[in-house]
Amino acid sequence: MRQLCKGNVAVIKGAVLAGCRAYYGYPITPASEVAEAAALYLPEVGGTFIQAESETASINMVYGAASAGVRVMTASSGPGLSLMQEGISYLAGAELPCVIVDVMRGGPGLGNIAPEQSDYFAMVKGGGHGNYRNLVVAPASVQEMADLTVLAFELADKYRNPAIVLTDGFVGQMMEPLALEYREITGPAKPWAVQGTAETRQNLICSIYLEPDALEEHQRKLEAKYIRAQQTETRCEEYRTEDAELILVGYGIVSRVLRSTVDQARRQGIKAGLFRPITLWPFPEKQLQAAALRAQKVMVVELSNGQMLEDVRLTVNGKRPIEFYGRVGGNVPTVEELMAKIEEQVPAVV
Amino acid sequence: MSSPSVSKPARGNIAIDVEECKGCGLCVDSCPPKCLELAPELSSYGVHPAHYTGHDCTGCGICFYCCPEPGAITVYRLAPLPKVAVPQVAAGGEHAATL
Repeated sequence: MRQLCKGNVAVIKGAVLAGCRAYYGYPITPASEVAEAAALYLPEVGGTFIQAESETASINMVYGAASAGVRVMTASSGPGLSLMQEGISYLAGAELPCVIVDVMRGGPGLGNIAPEQSDYFAMVKGGGHGNYRNLVVAPASVQEMADLTVLAFELADKYRNPAIVLTDGFVGQMMEPLALEYREITGPAKPWAVQGTAETRQNLICSIYLEPDALEEHQRKLEAKYIRAQQTETRCEEYRTEDAELILVGYGIVSRVLRSTVDQARRQGIKAGLFRPITLWPFPEKQLQAAALRAQKVMVVELSNGQMLEDVRLTVNGKRPIEFYGRVGGNVPTVEELMAKIEEQVPAVV
Repeated sequence: MSSPSVSKPARGNIAIDVEECKGCGLCVDSCPPKCLELAPELSSYGVHPAHYTGHDCTGCGICFYCCPEPGAITVYRLAPLPKVAVPQVAAGGEHAATL
């Protein structure tokens, strides 16, 4: 059955179906409904909701629950995620699975509460200290807010690593039809967890390795995991890229605008196509490379000053010219605006 | 600000928690009868909070759904007024002041 649902609420509905039974968070606009929905639904399924005293506290509560082997999550927006970065580094270091939702808003500093995609560097490239990676998925609809949250829990457990659902205030706040599928909750056994039992008494969760060789070995192990993820977990969506001469690249809400732009451009005789990364880390390099090499030009559109742009540049590696169009401050480009930008590049065939 | 509606009594009422409102203006933009505005005064957080003009609310609740701040907006649907015959009095007539 389909229901009309807000993106932020869909995250929790997906999380409950994925077997998440603990949420620790601190409200922040535009992510507050995630906490609100968690407070409403988690106790109904025997779960735990705690509003922590700060984001720093909530990420450390997540560390605790993840250590006990529970599927656990938190959500926040940019300013809150800045406070959580230390905890995320510790979670990655201790190889603890958890899901963190970032409903991006305008920054830096307090910025505003309107949508932006300016936390890409902080979430995809790191932000905390040390050699670690986050698994990052980027939903572009309310349906995906639920579905990719489920995927995030599965990836987090599979790789014993924090997984980030990176979305923006637009997708978080908008309402769309949502269809939920009841599924059997399956998760790997967690013999490494500390559960206060005799069997798990010898287990130790920590991220400290004082011996250089021991730490290097630990990091090589993490690295092997990241390489495995890069080889097998990339996901993307392509729309009319088969014969496209211009590839538009965007994720999240931007991809929705770009899809309409592709149709509009095609009506005007410009062969455009959309490439949307669904996983931002691992970045779908091979797929983008193939699409870009089939085309003449690539244009990246973001609600930032050009953050994913760097990954697209690394991927295309100078083989095709890359244009960039970014809006910031909470502004979202319109199809008309993007068409004007495209027509600057490609003379319209009228 | 729109002029007070005399012919149609408001079907709804809106309560805004000025300490929760961040003054983003989404409710003002989305309100179909345009009965919300941003207050000229600042809240204690230094933002202009949303403010109900006091008339024309239909109780549709769209402002509630689009508000990104849980708890900032509460919409009440008012019970319809009992239908009573209202004496027609010409403007400036004898009983005009009591209407």
